[in-house]
Amino acid sequence: MEVSHVYRWDLDKTYLQTDFDTLRGLLRAAREKASAKVNVAGSRALVRELQSRPGARVCIISGSPRQMRRKLEEKFRLDGVEIDELVLKPNVENFVRGRFRAIRDQVGYKLPALLEGRSRVPSTASETLFGDDAEADAFVYSIYADLVEQRLSTSELAEILERCGIYEDDAERALRLASSLQKGPPIERIFIHLDGFSPPASFHAYGRRVVPIYNYFQAAVLLLLDGHVGPISLVRLAVDLSQGYGYSLVSLANSFQDLVRRGLARAEDMAAIRLAFEANVALFDKLRPATEVIQTFVERLRMIGGLKPAAEREQRRIDYLAIIEREGPPNTWRRRRRHRATAPRPKGPPF
Amino acid sequence: MPPPTIAFDAMGGDFAPAEIVRGAAQLSLETDLDIILVGDAPRLTALLGETSHNAERIAVHHAPPSPPGASPSSSLFEAARLVAQGRADALVTAGDTGALLRACMGTMQLLPGVEKAALAAVFPTELRRGATGDPFSLILDVGASHEATGRDLVTYALMGAAYARIISRNPVPRVALLASGAGAEREHPAILEAEAELREVADIDFLGLTEVDLIPLGTADVIVTSGLLGALTTRMLEGVTQTVLDLARYAYQERLSWRLGFTMVAGFLRQLKRLTDWEEYGGAPLLGFDRVVIRADRRSQARAIANAGKVASKAVVRGVPRAIAERLAPVSAEPQLAAEG
Repeated sequence: MEVSHVYRWDLDKTYLQTDFDTLRGLLRAAREKASAKVNVAGSRALVRELQSRPGARVCIISGSPRQMRRKLEEKFRLDGVEIDELVLKPNVENFVRGRFRAIRDQVGYKLPALLEGRSRVPSTASETLFGDDAEADAFVYSIYADLVEQRLSTSELAEILERCGIYEDDAERALRLASSLQKGPPIERIFIHLDGFSPPASFHAYGRRVVPIYNYFQAAVLLLLDGHVGPISLVRLAVDLSQGYGYSLVSLANSFQDLVRRGLARAEDMAAIRLAFEANVALFDKLRPATEVIQTFVERLRMIGGLKPAAEREQRRIDYLAIIEREGPPNTWRRRRRHRATAPRPKGPPF
Repeated sequence: MPPPTIAFDAMGGDFAPAEIVRGAAQLSLETDLDIILVGDAPRLTALLGETSHNAERIAVHHAPPSPPGASPSSSLFEAARLVAQGRADALVTAGDTGALLRACMGTMQLLPGVEKAALAAVFPTELRRGATGDPFSLILDVGASHEATGRDLVTYALMGAAYARIISRNPVPRVALLASGAGAEREHPAILEAEAELREVADIDFLGLTEVDLIPLGTADVIVTSGLLGALTTRMLEGVTQTVLDLARYAYQERLSWRLGFTMVAGFLRQLKRLTDWEEYGGAPLLGFDRVVIRADRRSQARAIANAGKVASKAVVRGVPRAIAERLAPVSAEPQLAAEG
């Protein structure tokens, strides 16, 4: 069957809970067995639901080294998910060739990998992307989306890549792939899993296409509303989050309220969720009666009953150069975020 | 048992709603509490959007903007209503004390035997008490009402003792009445009346009358007073410590030799600051209602609000209103028994 929709996932902090902020975490990730790797809550269930859709293709582009391929494939097998494409980073090669910047760099690796992946699917295929807030996923994915939609010229791309400070050969590869790219349908959504609880407003510069989410229940609600998953998928995901990850009904209901408050869903969309829950009572009854589940959701919605939905933000033109100007080159973002989290006390008396 | 649900009056306090939102956001990342922010939803949503928080643990309850106070549609009144209806387990506000009382009176029930609620504050002392080694004395009332009768003071003493028993794990709290020290003939009659009654109460260690300068020594675990005197006392005690720290900071910046000296005792000064820092305690419980109510200082910023949420959670988990009700039950039954007799 021809591929009609591609779901591209990042791996660490998006699909798997990986600590790559510390050397110890990195070493553990490299050494641990496939069975010891832990999923981000709901990621496995969501990928399973997405891959079961006709014409769907699931691809993973990860910053993990190529040497981990076997282990990761084993992990996907254990999870019962079939990945159509797994792209890993040539980190050992980068190290051997003395390309130390490339080891940390995301733009120079991920953008060409995304563009190459795009060349392997029909130009009519639509896409949904999944990343996280640890590094520069929103930035790279948005450039990719603008290239697919031909909203960004190669000359603009060249300037952006130059300001990102990536290696020349990576930039040339990205430019070559971008120039041969055929125009495709708009990238529907770029989900950013807020693993580090970044403020959602910090992604406003990327427009409404980038959707910061706190969990995959939120993603599943939006995918249900977009017609990507069916009602039963939403229920199965909710059950997985409750049974496997200790999510309470209140936390799921809060997640929905959050979507409504941010203008990503509407209060009327509760009708679709209600239908999903009512149609799959048997699944939910393993946890709580479906009526109780619905009641919890309705109550959280009632709390904001009189609220006007937030105005939908336009997908305006993204000023990538301004983002780099403001936040520095993307390869410094992770370090800066960590620095901000552990910022020293201002100078003054030590009491 | 699910984690407690804490309703925050997001529009009350000098730094509301920004600091209330930041405090609740901090709490959502540090604990598994369920948080409800009550206030102007569009404004709260915008603030949350700019703040690192866990949206799974925070809900917003819309209360349209209204003049400060406790009009039935205000955020404070709405938050109190949520707690009274059992949709939240505790209320936290940095709003005005009078408005808080009106909101609680309008929505919650005073416990049997309580005629006036009392605001309780903690103050650090030299001594450690109870199983938890709690360094704090409890002072009440610190401003819920200006005047107190002898009967009110007795009720405050019993409520304070019940609170100390379950929060500080102090089985027999030492209770004292704050007095002027001017002698029995010049003491307020309400204090003398309460003193006589408290001497008859079992299961508390009643010390009699105490004076302001004895509070920091920690000889009493629960200090009972009327609201006006309590408010003045706690403000003054806080002010003294603040002045000491301000002077130390001034001196630190003034001369190199002083700076060296203060650097050597910086550990002690930090400890002093930590112990006396009102933001560290978060808030004062309003005792006497059938629900947990915590009043944070109106100057509260994020840290104080987050700590007030933790105090509220602790009070819910340990069942403070129930414990107070149980302690007051024999007392509240007395007049009824007398009437029956």
